[in-house]
Amino acid sequence: MLLDFNKLGAWKWALSAICAVMSLFLLLPILFIVALSFGSSRWLIFPPPGWTLKWYEELFADPRWIGAALTSAKIGVIVMVISVALGLLASLALVRGTFRGREVLRAFFLTPMVLPVVIVAVALYAAFLRLGLNGTLVGFVIAHVIVALPFAIITITGALETFDPAIEDAAILCGASPWEARLRVTLPGIRHGLFSAAIFSFLISWDEVVLAIFMASPSLQTLPVKVWTTLRQDLTPVIAAASTLLVALTVLLMIAAAVLRKGKSE
Amino acid sequence: MFSAAAPRRGSGLGFAMPAILLLAAFFVIPVVFLLTRSVTEPQLGLQNYAALVGSSTYAKVFFNTFFVAGVVTLVTVLIAFPVAWALAIMPARWSAVVFAIILLSMWTNLLARTYAWMVLLQQTGLINRMLKAIGLIDQPLQLTNNLVGVTIGMVYIMLPFMILPLLGVIKKIDPAILQAAALCGATKWQALTRVLVPLATPGIASGALMVFVMSLGYFVTPSLLGGTANMMLAELIAQQVQSLVNWGMGGAAAFLLLLVTLGLYAVQLRFLDRKEAA
Repeated sequence: MLLDFNKLGAWKWALSAICAVMSLFLLLPILFIVALSFGSSRWLIFPPPGWTLKWYEELFADPRWIGAALTSAKIGVIVMVISVALGLLASLALVRGTFRGREVLRAFFLTPMVLPVVIVAVALYAAFLRLGLNGTLVGFVIAHVIVALPFAIITITGALETFDPAIEDAAILCGASPWEARLRVTLPGIRHGLFSAAIFSFLISWDEVVLAIFMASPSLQTLPVKVWTTLRQDLTPVIAAASTLLVALTVLLMIAAAVLRKGKSE
Repeated sequence: MFSAAAPRRGSGLGFAMPAILLLAAFFVIPVVFLLTRSVTEPQLGLQNYAALVGSSTYAKVFFNTFFVAGVVTLVTVLIAFPVAWALAIMPARWSAVVFAIILLSMWTNLLARTYAWMVLLQQTGLINRMLKAIGLIDQPLQLTNNLVGVTIGMVYIMLPFMILPLLGVIKKIDPAILQAAALCGATKWQALTRVLVPLATPGIASGALMVFVMSLGYFVTPSLLGGTANMMLAELIAQQVQSLVNWGMGGAAAFLLLLVTLGLYAVQLRFLDRKEAA
């Protein structure tokens, strides 16, 4: 009765109302930023007195914003490649390996996801002070791979677990070497998992704030660090413009992920 | 398992080595090193922990952290339960829309979402002006730079993390059990409180623990919406290390946060084990 939507009676409307209010609560702030980014008021009056593109002009005219976005993209792509490569190898070991303690190893790989990121950030900051890696691209990449890797491993092990190893064995029986079988049979078989892992890894690096604040130097900062330092000074609509572009990118990547899922189910 | 070719391939541990080495060098060793500094700096001993436990400034930080995490967890459970319940049973067309909104919110940049709340909640912000327009308040409410702002911002961020696990659990409940409750004469309210909620409790418990643990260590939203006067634990760690260069204190606070996090994580694992055993 309670799990049949049409037999709920008045409760059906109560539940639908809660769902609708919660959806608005989640959605409206995002739409609000998008609207503000086109609004003409520097003081973020809503509804805006007029519409303008000047915040976007200001954003694109400032080389620091562009530089930060390029740095973020560069770090994101490198992190994506390393995280998927290491994640694939680690997943092969976890799913296909025959050694003892695979469950312990899996839990170990996931710990960076469980620990508060501020602890990882402070610990890496101390280590990088010694190694001279603070404020370097290498430092950013290492820090972001640490937090992206668990997500890559979860996604790729998930794909590998649903891929029947007998297909790989069949390729080997038909004369392929184990490496040939892995590269030409298993990899294409789990490509959806690999693509999702790549998108996740990129997005995690692209959006990551806490590690980046500790790794950043005045000469090298990512987009979130630039947003963070600007936010601490004032709430300028330029941030609304930057945020809107970030939301647009998120929507595009979500659509890409949805298309991938659809491709998988076909 | 019954793979004919397996014996020729070795155990496969070698494949995991790059990831293991990376995590050992840049995760395990740095964290262990940080924690040891809490008992070696400025000199060997437990003085940093004594200072953390003894001072009223730090007591306030701990209170803020646990209080906000507790309230955020409670509020998200109360909102997420009906939402997950509705999502589990409503027509697929609608639930797909709600689901897309939840995912969009979850994947939208954290700073963008926090920025939205900073603007919405400020003294001249939309929320204050709306409350004034409908006559509920005369003077604008102070909604940022305090724990109210932090709580609102955190509930916004944590909601998806509570809805998704709850949805998984509610979807697995057999509707026949609730039909049986109705046939035996249970009212809707009785069916809810004595059948549906108890059956969903493993999901509520693990979602609540996850949100609580995440809230305890959260850094970005508390520092932007809470201001420096309402510090939480993660900010304290960052401040000790970055502004005060007091690695001993920072390490001690990090160790306490780590201990609480891992402790609650262990509780979570026991919950999951029990669920699987049942």
